[in-house]
Amino acid sequence: MVESAPLAASRTVSGEVRARIEREMARYPQRRGALLAALRWVQDERGWVSPEATTEVAEIFGLHPLEVIEVISFYNMLHDRPVGRHEVHVCTSLACSLRGARGLLRALEAHVGVRSGETSADGRITLGHEECLGACSGAPMLRIGPTYHENLDVAKAKALLDGLE
Amino acid sequence: MHATPHVTGYLSEHFGDDAFVTLEGYRARGGYEAARRALTALSPADVIELVTASGLQGRGGAGFSTGQKWGFMPRGGERPKVLVCNADESEPGSFKDRLLMERGPHQLLEGILIGAWATGAERTFLYIRGEYAHATAVLELAIREARSAGILGDRVLGTGFRHDVVLVRGAGAYICGEETGLLESLEGKKGQPRRKPPYPAESGAFGMPTTVNNVETFCHVPEIVRRGAERFRRVGTEQSPGTTLFGVSGHIARPGLFELPLGTRLDTLIHEHAGGVPGGKRLKGVIPGGVSMPILPADQLDVPLANESLRERGTSLGTGGVMVMDEDTCMVRVACVISWFFRDESCGQCTQCREGTGWIHQICARLERGEGRREDLDILLEVAGKMEGATICAFADAAAWPIQGLLRHFRADFEAHLGSEGRGAGGRGRCPFPHSFEL
Amino acid sequence: MARFKVDDVEYEAEAGTPLLRALDELGVLMNGVDVPHYCWHPKLSVDGSCRLCQVEIEGVPKLQIACDTPVRDGLVVRTDTARVQSAREGVMELLLLNHPLDCPICDQAGECQLQDYAFDYGVPAARMREPRRAAKKRQDLGKAIVFDQERCILCRRCVRFCREVTGTNELGVLRRGDRSVLETAPGLPLDNDYSMNVADICPVGALTTKDFRFKVRVWDLENVPGVCTGCSRGCNVEIGVARGNVQRYVPRRNDAVNETWLCDVGRLSYKEIGAPDRVRDVSVRGEHGLTPASLEEAIAGASKRVRTVLDEHGGAAVAGIASAHACNEDLEVFGALLDALGAGARGAPVPLGPSDELLVRPEKAANAHGARALGFGDPAPWLDRLGGGDVRVLIVLGHDLLGADFLGSEAALSEIGTVILLDTHQSALARVADFVFPARHPAEREGTLTNHAGRVQPVVRAVEPPFPAWTEGEILARLGTALGLEAFGSAPAPGPGR
Repeated sequence: MVESAPLAASRTVSGEVRARIEREMARYPQRRGALLAALRWVQDERGWVSPEATTEVAEIFGLHPLEVIEVISFYNMLHDRPVGRHEVHVCTSLACSLRGARGLLRALEAHVGVRSGETSADGRITLGHEECLGACSGAPMLRIGPTYHENLDVAKAKALLDGLE
Repeated sequence: MHATPHVTGYLSEHFGDDAFVTLEGYRARGGYEAARRALTALSPADVIELVTASGLQGRGGAGFSTGQKWGFMPRGGERPKVLVCNADESEPGSFKDRLLMERGPHQLLEGILIGAWATGAERTFLYIRGEYAHATAVLELAIREARSAGILGDRVLGTGFRHDVVLVRGAGAYICGEETGLLESLEGKKGQPRRKPPYPAESGAFGMPTTVNNVETFCHVPEIVRRGAERFRRVGTEQSPGTTLFGVSGHIARPGLFELPLGTRLDTLIHEHAGGVPGGKRLKGVIPGGVSMPILPADQLDVPLANESLRERGTSLGTGGVMVMDEDTCMVRVACVISWFFRDESCGQCTQCREGTGWIHQICARLERGEGRREDLDILLEVAGKMEGATICAFADAAAWPIQGLLRHFRADFEAHLGSEGRGAGGRGRCPFPHSFEL
Repeated sequence: MARFKVDDVEYEAEAGTPLLRALDELGVLMNGVDVPHYCWHPKLSVDGSCRLCQVEIEGVPKLQIACDTPVRDGLVVRTDTARVQSAREGVMELLLLNHPLDCPICDQAGECQLQDYAFDYGVPAARMREPRRAAKKRQDLGKAIVFDQERCILCRRCVRFCREVTGTNELGVLRRGDRSVLETAPGLPLDNDYSMNVADICPVGALTTKDFRFKVRVWDLENVPGVCTGCSRGCNVEIGVARGNVQRYVPRRNDAVNETWLCDVGRLSYKEIGAPDRVRDVSVRGEHGLTPASLEEAIAGASKRVRTVLDEHGGAAVAGIASAHACNEDLEVFGALLDALGAGARGAPVPLGPSDELLVRPEKAANAHGARALGFGDPAPWLDRLGGGDVRVLIVLGHDLLGADFLGSEAALSEIGTVILLDTHQSALARVADFVFPARHPAEREGTLTNHAGRVQPVVRAVEPPFPAWTEGEILARLGTALGLEAFGSAPAPGPGR
């Protein structure tokens, strides 16, 4: 049961997300099935799942915080540390590599001034690489958050990133 | 990606029509009539018999008989049953399920409904990989439409059958495409595959009898119900009937999806449909079924694309991800790319897989740098050999096969990296494929 | 029951039992039938990830893990084939790939299953040329455990222990693939009451106890079976002795008492044996307080005082307080002495404390049940009257259980003319006692203790105290003899401290 929210200062996970989690739990035979969705919504609020949020999610699910930490650490799309405003992931799997993805990634690293996995100093971009995103015929490609950008070359990719605020 | 495959068939012929994505558009093309027929005129056992007779093989990579799999679910009984639609498509080289969901969501739902009727499942968990945001949105809308129209819910298509589809998103892990890894993730845990037995039909999602099927597998089902088993079998081969969506990528003029009968020859697909290798270059090798499947050299492309014939050549159809490599390609670099993938995606439970995928990648990387030794090639094969058939799930096998395939057909590339004295010379300058893709 | 064969020897077990468990229950696992394993443990759920226990099953093409293969009638198993050997070598090589060469500084050496199995089943030479994976070393994992993440082979026994046995969930495996690591949550260390068990079940030196760290090499230990004296559970322990001292307790498996576990408090209770506050001297109170004396002097003095009281007031003026720590043998002698004296009150107080649903019992003494069975019940009803003048001789088996306030007060006690104390450790009682005799700890003698369920368990001598000490039984028998009691004959009590 979600209690009514006490002081806002002691809560990291908003009441809105808590209510959403509660509704999601009802879709599964066991409440824990909602954990991945819950973590995603918590993450959507601030870009990452902080230690405080992790503890709160654990409480909501009746889990030990370590069980939640384990889950966050297992999945690529869940973050236990802050990320930039825009997550840019270049696919470096085989089809994309065959068509220059790795050279593209290196060019973007130089362009943004970070190594893959790092966030730009201005907090704008976290640049990374991922395995196959299911866009092999549009190689090379990258995703910015949920959106795919396919059939790239270095110039197009740089322009895309420059357009991010 | 293109909204339609370069070659279409019964799965994808309407994908160019935006309306097909909507319930109204789907119905206008005869959508949900097969489901209506199954629910009103056929018994669950009839449907299982029909699908078994059709010879439909699962399209998620294993190629197991779909009808037989449905038959494993307990008949009647007290325990509620569920279906799982595996939409976690993450096999490098595969992108067919993505298109099937983005352009034919109702076709998928219809196939699911028929499967649910056949197996007595009260619910389907549609587990879609977290990265497929657009497909997720399309499916969410389609499910809402279906619920509003009484196609999902308490009285499916006006019958007494109850069924609903619960859309669940993954969070980025290839191993969640493995049947029991998916189930663990669905239950809110790390996606670490389970030991079998118990098999999912006995104890699957949340302990319930469960059947897991791939997206494309479900999509074939309405066609089978519409045409019957015999007519379905007229397309494809005797053992592998029907079409599939081959995804062609890499060094190819027309990358994309091609819906063709199973049994179409690989060289036909590459040269006649996909335009061959561009730039006037020769073809060096092709992976026929996603990176898990061993590569074929250029002189073995006359093989029909179907499990039975590909297995004779030491590889397999997998998920039909056809990856083409031209003559400039350094196969040691390919080994690095592929072995990195398996190292990254191993769940880490089994010793051979956890440590083996790590070691294999490290050795490939060192070979590529020119710091290899002759014994490294033996170690690669030995480690790969000990990963096969020895772990909780088939991921370790999938990690072993590509290395075995590359060494079987392109050992010369690896030997070249060893240098003339069997010891590496260091630096990329010695790679005999200087125009190869950059690593 | 199913009949199955392993390496041509026939066995029987209940059908469906996993093979490894069946072999363990038959007592042949690693004791006639070699199936090396890491992740399986008799008291934890099946994991199936280490893959070391692969065996050949007739009729099955792939090797199967024995921990997850159910026994059925007609099952034919081979553990001695080339395929099995090759599989074992493969697993061992991979586990050793990134394992640090810490043996010279690792506490586990000598009782390390990685060493043992590498020697017996592994490959002789390393082929690994890559830089080894670096990870955390010397991590403080909680109050009692040191963690070395590099040594961990990810068998996950510790994770399952904290999940299934203690239900505290402090340990987990983060990330995936060859980046997997064992971790605790920040700020939530491993601190349950059974935390030190993870060091036992860890097959390697990844989890070791702070208490035993760098203390002694296990091959220098002499191991003697014993019983923990922390509570009435009577957990079976193995007493590790080196250089004349007890260096540690580890649990000794007894499926009827403590399975394979031991609570942390009990595990560390070995320290009481070599504690600096042991009673080391026979002492007699004189003008200048307690002064050391010989056993004969003290016995003579004590018997004289008791004889005087007997003659003037009769046996009812003698009371006896036993210890619920004392062995049954001592309590028998004490009972016989009190009977022979015609003594009045007797009892054995049992200190109580917290308990749990696992091993820890509320009665904080090893022989509470035995004491009651031998006639030493709860002394509370008559303890109030102790200082009233009726009791003139009080014989106490202290065992550090009693503070003076337990018996009323020092003032009340000093009203009793003669207090004869037999004890292992210094206590407030010694300040008022007239005669003090050093007693042997259960680990320093042969005897029996009866646990909460009535199970009589033997103890044997693991170590000799570095000062003269006797069992309470011996001292009391000598007293009986000195008093000329018929039941004790005229000869000294049987044998020196056994």
